[in-house]
Amino acid sequence: MSSPATPNGSQQDLADEQPQAPPVFHNFLRAFYPFHPSYSVSDSSVTLPLSEGDVILVHSIHTNGWADGTLLLTGARGWLPTNYCEAYDPEEMRNLLKALLNFWDLLRSTSVNDSEIFGNQEFMKGIIAGVRCLLERTDCLTRESAIIQRHEGLRRGRKSLLSELSSLVKTAKRLQETQRGMLHSAEDVNDIVDEMILKAFRIVTKGVRFLDVLEEDRSLRAPAAVTVMDTVVEESHVPPTPPADLMGFEEQSNASDVSSRADASQASSDLVLPCMSDVAHAANAPVNKRLSSITTMSASPTSHRLSQNINRLSGISHRVSLAGPPPLSRPQHLVSERLNKSHDAFLSHLGSFIGRLHLQSQSRPELAFAIKLTATSGGDLLAVIDVVCSNTSSSDMLPRARDSMFDRIQDLVSSAGQIIHDAASQEEDVIMQQDNGVLLLAATGCVKAAGECVAKTKWVIERVGDFECEVESGSLGIDLSVLDVPFERRPSVATSVAGSTASQATSVAGSCRTVESCSSGVQRLRTSSTDKPLPELPQVTSPVVDETPDLPPQQESPPNTRPSSLLHDESLSSTVSSVSSLRPTLPPLPKLSTSLLPGEDYSPVEKANQDTDFQSSFQSEPGTVSSAGSSATYHSRDSESSLVSQTSTRATTPDHTMGPKNKPSMSELSNGGSSTQAEEVDDVECKLLEKTYAYELMFNKEGQVTGGSIPALVERLTTHESTPDATFVSTFYLTFRLFCTPVQLAEALIDRFDYVVESPHMAAPVRLRVYNAFKGWLETHWRDETDREALDLIEPFAEHKLSSALPSAGRRLLELAQRVSSEGSLVPRNVSSMGKTNTSIAQYVPAETPHPAVSLSRSQVNALQGWKNGGTMPSVLDFEPLELARQLTVKQMTIFCAILPEELLASEWMKKGGVGAPNVKAMTAFSTDLSNLVAETILQHSEVKKRATVIKQWIKIAHQCFELHNYDGLMAIICSLNSSTISRLRKTWDMVSPKRRDMLRQLQAVVEPSQNNKVLRGRLHDHVPPCLPFLGMYLTDLTFVDIGNPATKQLQSAGCGDGAEENGAGGRTVVNFDKHTRTAKIIGELQRFQIPYRLTEVPELQEWLEAQVVGVRDGDQGNVQVSYYRKSLLLEPREAAPRTPIEGPSGGSGQRTGDLFGWMTRDRGIAPVMV
Amino acid sequence: MSRHKHHQPCRELHVVVLGAGGVGKSCLTAQFVHNEWIESYDPTIEDTYRTQLQVDGRQVVLEILDTAGTEQFVAMRDLYMKSGQGFILVFSITSSSSMSEIEMLREEITRIKDDENVPIVIVGNKADLEDQRSVPRQRAFACSQSWNAPYYETSARTRTNVNAVFIDICRQLLLRDEKYGDLDRLSDDRDYDKDGIMGLGKRKKRRTRRPDGNRCVIL
Ligand SMILES: Nc1nc2c(ncn2[C@@H]2O[C@H](COP(=O)(O)OP(=O)(O)OP(=O)(O)O)[C@@H](O)[C@H]2O)c(=O)[nH]1
Ligand SMILES: [Mg+2]
Repeated sequence: MSSPATPNGSQQDLADEQPQAPPVFHNFLRAFYPFHPSYSVSDSSVTLPLSEGDVILVHSIHTNGWADGTLLLTGARGWLPTNYCEAYDPEEMRNLLKALLNFWDLLRSTSVNDSEIFGNQEFMKGIIAGVRCLLERTDCLTRESAIIQRHEGLRRGRKSLLSELSSLVKTAKRLQETQRGMLHSAEDVNDIVDEMILKAFRIVTKGVRFLDVLEEDRSLRAPAAVTVMDTVVEESHVPPTPPADLMGFEEQSNASDVSSRADASQASSDLVLPCMSDVAHAANAPVNKRLSSITTMSASPTSHRLSQNINRLSGISHRVSLAGPPPLSRPQHLVSERLNKSHDAFLSHLGSFIGRLHLQSQSRPELAFAIKLTATSGGDLLAVIDVVCSNTSSSDMLPRARDSMFDRIQDLVSSAGQIIHDAASQEEDVIMQQDNGVLLLAATGCVKAAGECVAKTKWVIERVGDFECEVESGSLGIDLSVLDVPFERRPSVATSVAGSTASQATSVAGSCRTVESCSSGVQRLRTSSTDKPLPELPQVTSPVVDETPDLPPQQESPPNTRPSSLLHDESLSSTVSSVSSLRPTLPPLPKLSTSLLPGEDYSPVEKANQDTDFQSSFQSEPGTVSSAGSSATYHSRDSESSLVSQTSTRATTPDHTMGPKNKPSMSELSNGGSSTQAEEVDDVECKLLEKTYAYELMFNKEGQVTGGSIPALVERLTTHESTPDATFVSTFYLTFRLFCTPVQLAEALIDRFDYVVESPHMAAPVRLRVYNAFKGWLETHWRDETDREALDLIEPFAEHKLSSALPSAGRRLLELAQRVSSEGSLVPRNVSSMGKTNTSIAQYVPAETPHPAVSLSRSQVNALQGWKNGGTMPSVLDFEPLELARQLTVKQMTIFCAILPEELLASEWMKKGGVGAPNVKAMTAFSTDLSNLVAETILQHSEVKKRATVIKQWIKIAHQCFELHNYDGLMAIICSLNSSTISRLRKTWDMVSPKRRDMLRQLQAVVEPSQNNKVLRGRLHDHVPPCLPFLGMYLTDLTFVDIGNPATKQLQSAGCGDGAEENGAGGRTVVNFDKHTRTAKIIGELQRFQIPYRLTEVPELQEWLEAQVVGVRDGDQGNVQVSYYRKSLLLEPREAAPRTPIEGPSGGSGQRTGDLFGWMTRDRGIAPVMV
Repeated sequence: MSRHKHHQPCRELHVVVLGAGGVGKSCLTAQFVHNEWIESYDPTIEDTYRTQLQVDGRQVVLEILDTAGTEQFVAMRDLYMKSGQGFILVFSITSSSSMSEIEMLREEITRIKDDENVPIVIVGNKADLEDQRSVPRQRAFACSQSWNAPYYETSARTRTNVNAVFIDICRQLLLRDEKYGDLDRLSDDRDYDKDGIMGLGKRKKRRTRRPDGNRCVIL
């Protein structure tokens, strides 16, 4: 976030928007002028009275300049005019403000029964780190610091801040206990959560106040500089210190009109927050009432949590995180939500496409259809991105990513078009395998480009605020008709499908439905917006504040320009439906009083009178915001205010003549402190002094780490205050080499070991965990090839630092280091020795399930024996399908179990011919061999009947594989049978009994790749091992995660002080840990099945199987698929009127596409030459 | 798909294995999770294991936290006690001080949890070393009675009763769930022992009312 400098500056920011500088969504605003609406509030909305200096958490901003926000002071939520406010984002406060956002998002979106989140206190860390950062940046971290020692007010302010913090920590503990122990505790969890949110608000409020005092002190201490001040201030980005203290205001107006002001309190009330102990009981109750009254008004009677109480309008920009679950928002209209949805749709089409590409025959019409679906969904995604683009012109980063994604889609379409043309010109029905390589490259290119583009779009959305919009599924601008030649000339996707198979028809129908519902959604929205014009908005009947005729033009109604530039640039994109039709007729913003201008005279009395009007009407409304809650504490504020000087903070501050200047009341600041026990505050202070990188961590709403700097991740790995998070730890070990070098990890761990001494109370556990992290690394996760260089750090660390702190640990680590250095690694890191902090979930297999008896007859044994002695080789028909399936399964499972997790990282199997992933390669190679074996054994017979018998045998074997839950084997066999080479043998299939064909149909349904293997995924969902899943599915998922997600993320507005922000460098760049978590999750899923079958291996049969496979492989000169296809043509020449010989659900009628997994062995990004 | 929803694995149970150093906590865990016997001794700091198993027909994911027993590494015990749902308290029948240790641990747990009925299993390990026994069975029985927690004598070396211990704690946790959630399912007692491991008649009722003389399982 850019830091607004002064009220002047930021006022301009809001008011005087230049078109080329796009608006930035400010999460926090601060009122620089009081707002007291005098009209009565309609029954559907609430306006939020503001006092000068109030800080507001903004949820959304309407195009007309009204913002939906929550007043931190009271927790009240309502609409407020943004032109009364300036952005609030002083550098010192940034981390705390950001932490508050996260805190709010987490607490309001989490299901309250989620003990996992509240079970550990992780979510508290951000707030604590934020407070720490504030104090650190102001040089007030310790009680002993010079400023604190010198300035009594600051000392008390600091103490009060800390006591608020301590109070929050205590409430969080209580929540934890409620969650943990008594599930049916009397205390409503919702109440505690509300209380916590209010306390967090209060912490920020105190922080704001603290900073104000500090600023004032600074300006006081540099009186000579006053005249220069404004420029200096502006340039050095010193946070704004608008006249914030209501206390002082109160005092002055006391003189003129005490009573009215007193009633107006709830807005201006503030600083004297109820002390923590009675928050829950006394003060909290009315506050909650207030919250729930808002809830009722916005028609959500279900809950009174802070989170859920407001309706949203179209034409509003939101804080991004609001796109989440609040029931009353319409997340489907939010651009972030549309982005996610269309990205998902695009990926899923690409996934299905890739699935078909490497698994199954692809005829030209099928290919054309799949590409069209993909391109169309890509177009939809681009349309959403265009909407976002049109709302930000800040840099060309997004347009560039967008263009590159467009190019990738275009590549895909034109490659496919080319291939289809070529195939047509050669009168081939088939797509050749080298073509598949091209398509795969193009498709993965799309995945990657889309991933990058979406990540950047999200970043932009976060910056400008989420907003609602209508997107018409756009014309892509790519000529899809290239795909139609020569069998289909019409560009429409729907019609081109007409002749296609059933499953395709369904999926098209599906996509049509989506389009339909989408557009009907638009219609509905439009209708409703005319029928019932936005009931949520305040019916403003009169401007609130005195109007002065000669306002400077840009202050007339400033924010209007901002949102319109946000949403209203038709020239930029044809895909944005005109927003104007949706724009509600909102009341104009109340005009600002010219009293803001220096020299203007303003009468406080007049103002107060209006307040009184407002107040009375406001309070007489039963459903409106009530001020009861805070007015009780209101009067206690004025005791010490006279201590504070009345000097204005800044010469440049618009002269608020009606109000006194900044005068924070110290009684307020100290108020909280006095009510808390000193030790608790000490406790918190202790916590604060901890050096921490917590602010460099990012969490999702489930509380999982989604990003972080390396020190922050290491800190999390060795946290002192929770039991280890198994997912995090295992993901870390598995993937750390992807984001840091082993040396960096060692350094970070050692650094962690060092800096924790500053916090004695946690040093012991943290140091143990650092030791344990090293230990686990060396014992179970060591990779000699890459990690060896880290030993140069680890050994001395063990010998010295660790030994002196924990002698036995030091000895042990040294011993481990010496052992890995001599032996490479300590244990063969295969499946059986895994377990500690691993991604895999071992399955407990009940001991000693007996192996089933081998199904091998005497004569079969003899036949094998005879073959070994030089006799003829038995054929596939000579054995029981059951036993063949078992032996296949045993063989495949052995390879599957040998797959190491690191083979699955970073698309290793696609790089350098897969040298880094030998077992993955072996597994896919075997599947390909098996497929070829199926084709070979069928095609070797010239008699139709014989071929039919072999087909039947394979169907039975496939069926047995299915019964054994060997889906990889099943897939290989079915693919082969589905291939056009085999499926076109109509005469042969005619001899296969309907019963077998029916069996085949059912099996085909299981491995049907449509919708990204939906059927198979469903089956595997909670499958109990033993089971051999289809490896290709995991590989596809892993590829998508790997290339579809950027390696890093931007930490928004954190990291104390990184100012640069255009061109997407808004915050620190941190590890995109989410990507790794997803990867680890998929790998964990796979590992779940790495458990051998309880089946007896028959060596003779294994040998025979091997010989069969080798036979096929030897015959494989060049393009085995082509030769099979020719053979097929020879056996049953083309008929005049081709028809589909067998109707499977997958309905293939093109040539089988060769090496099943050939695509995996290619290097990404290199010319698509198939290996 | 990058956003493909992976399934939520069934019920997750968090169990902590506590006990003095060298009593065989890690060996028991390794036997249970990996069917492996570890001869050597390497003091643990903390290790987590995840395993999926069926208990009374329900799939559960069991997260086992193997902890440190040795004095200098026990800094995080309080944390474990706070966050664990069920506890396996292990002593070695060859060391009476290890028995005293778990008495202390039990006390800590009930204090921290403020709950007398925290799911606990008492384990007397190294039962294969009967000749070196120094904890009389009576003493363990007495604990079992007064804590209302089942007692098993196990051997990580021979894998005796290893499964029974972990299944018992899972069952206790599941029953606790039911007790709070779905009271009428309490009557749904099934015999388990389908897997043929040793484990004499154990009951599944929560240790609520009737005291139970049959909760101790020995060799
Ligand atoms: N004879 C016999 N020895 C055992 C048995 N269980 C464990 N041991 C041995 O006791 C030693 C310690 O076992 P561990 O499982 O590492 O002990 P621990 O309780 O995990 O120890 P800490 O991690 O230090 O708390 C090892 O040498 C084991 O071989 C058992 O049932 N019988
Ligand atoms: Mg151990």
